[in-house]
Amino acid sequence: MISTLLLNSLIAGVIAGSLCGCTGTICGRMRLSTIAFTMAHAALAGSALSLLLGLDYLITGMLFAVFTAIVLGPLSDILRISLDTTSMTLFSIYNALTFIFLIMSPGPTLSSEKVGGILWGSILAITPTYLTILITISIIYVMVLRIFWGRISSILFDPRLAEAEGVNVKFYTYILLVLAGMIIVFTLKITGGFLVFSLLFIPSATSIQISRSLKGMILKSSIIGGLSSTIGILISFALNLPVGSCIVIGAATIFAATSMASSIINWRRGD
Amino acid sequence: MNLEERSLRLELREAYAVELVDVSTYYYGERRPAITGINLKIPANTLSLVVGPNGAGKTTLLETILGLLKPRRGMVKVFGHDMAKRAHFVRKMCSYLPQDFMKDSDEPFLVKDVVAMGIASNRDLGRLREEDWRMVYKVLELVGMLEFSERPIGKLSGGQQQKVMLARALVRRPKLLLLDEPFSSLDRDSRRSISENLLPSLVEGGCTVIMVSHDLTFRPAVCDLVVRMESGRIVEVAEA
Repeated sequence: MISTLLLNSLIAGVIAGSLCGCTGTICGRMRLSTIAFTMAHAALAGSALSLLLGLDYLITGMLFAVFTAIVLGPLSDILRISLDTTSMTLFSIYNALTFIFLIMSPGPTLSSEKVGGILWGSILAITPTYLTILITISIIYVMVLRIFWGRISSILFDPRLAEAEGVNVKFYTYILLVLAGMIIVFTLKITGGFLVFSLLFIPSATSIQISRSLKGMILKSSIIGGLSSTIGILISFALNLPVGSCIVIGAATIFAATSMASSIINWRRGD
Repeated sequence: MNLEERSLRLELREAYAVELVDVSTYYYGERRPAITGINLKIPANTLSLVVGPNGAGKTTLLETILGLLKPRRGMVKVFGHDMAKRAHFVRKMCSYLPQDFMKDSDEPFLVKDVVAMGIASNRDLGRLREEDWRMVYKVLELVGMLEFSERPIGKLSGGQQQKVMLARALVRRPKLLLLDEPFSSLDRDSRRSISENLLPSLVEGGCTVIMVSHDLTFRPAVCDLVVRMESGRIVEVAEA
């Protein structure tokens, strides 16, 4: 029984971690880190609302994240303030809503495993259905990247120049943001709402130090994300600690080790 | 090309590559227009030089032509297409070399990939064919950057990066080439080679070139039109 649970958790963790690593690198390159950050907290607020209303957290979390991805750009245009400022304003609102929804949730729900799962992650709720959806999302994500790579890489290099060359930058950005929203919501189940952002960006920050090309950077951040999840899940099982925190500690350890190794190599080369 | 041949070419031109009618463009949140009352017709297959001091509106003019900045008033046509409606289509025929293009040293983009991106936007789903890659290497050789094709662009000097971006502009085989201060980081030999060899051969090959320079004394080897700008307005258009 435990071995099946561990196996499911490891498979889900590796897939979600790899997707997050890849998404984090793409969002970082597109200067959309604050948007991804806000989407993660939107998903958390949506999940908190699901506790209050007794709905499936995937539905409300997804609605909040995708809604944020879609409205942030136009909202920023209407308010005539920068995208970063709009993102951080929404982030604050989502945090406030999260706590309000949690406090307003019925007593039994509040004391149940569900709240902990949303806040700091849980592997107990990983079901075959969840795994199937996660695998489907990863297939869609890889296909989108593979099919549109020529244009997406051009946007990642310089969106303004890509636009000048006839690439529909807004269209591809929205596709990537909506996919990022879906990945964030599904990963939230494993890492928890407050830590999902870490799994998006620590692998990305690690891969920057050891990559010469964009493809290499995306591949390495995916591997590091998957590896972080594996380490975190195993530690969580062994020491009975919250899985989300263990994954982040795993990612941070890889980051620290890579930074040290990279510094030593550069120092030896005389860079 | 002698003077007679150039005159003949100018007479034979059938259409304008670029037409701006009473165009005014504002930057976001600004009350003063960056360019205003612009009326300009640039014949096809010519090289036009846009000159003026800093802040004259030269870059704004280029970005308005490409539709990257939407004019609040007036109309922009490129090869007869209204840019308000057909920008994405028209841009596929254009190349743009932005001003002061400089990437950080940790940019994870190889030189060959940066140049290939120029073609990808014109291909179905952005997928490149084998002949596209041959073209990429050919253009890199043309600008003297072939030996750097496998290096990350961020590790190159400003002048080398500018050459890579020029290669990206050329690899698209554009009908309209917009160059914003293309020589700002280049050494004298590179400037001369581009000015005396590359640009004239592009124009002869059917490309319309619009080049911006703040250097009022600079003239490329072939120049059909000189547009002088000041404070967001065109103050002089002269056939060179």
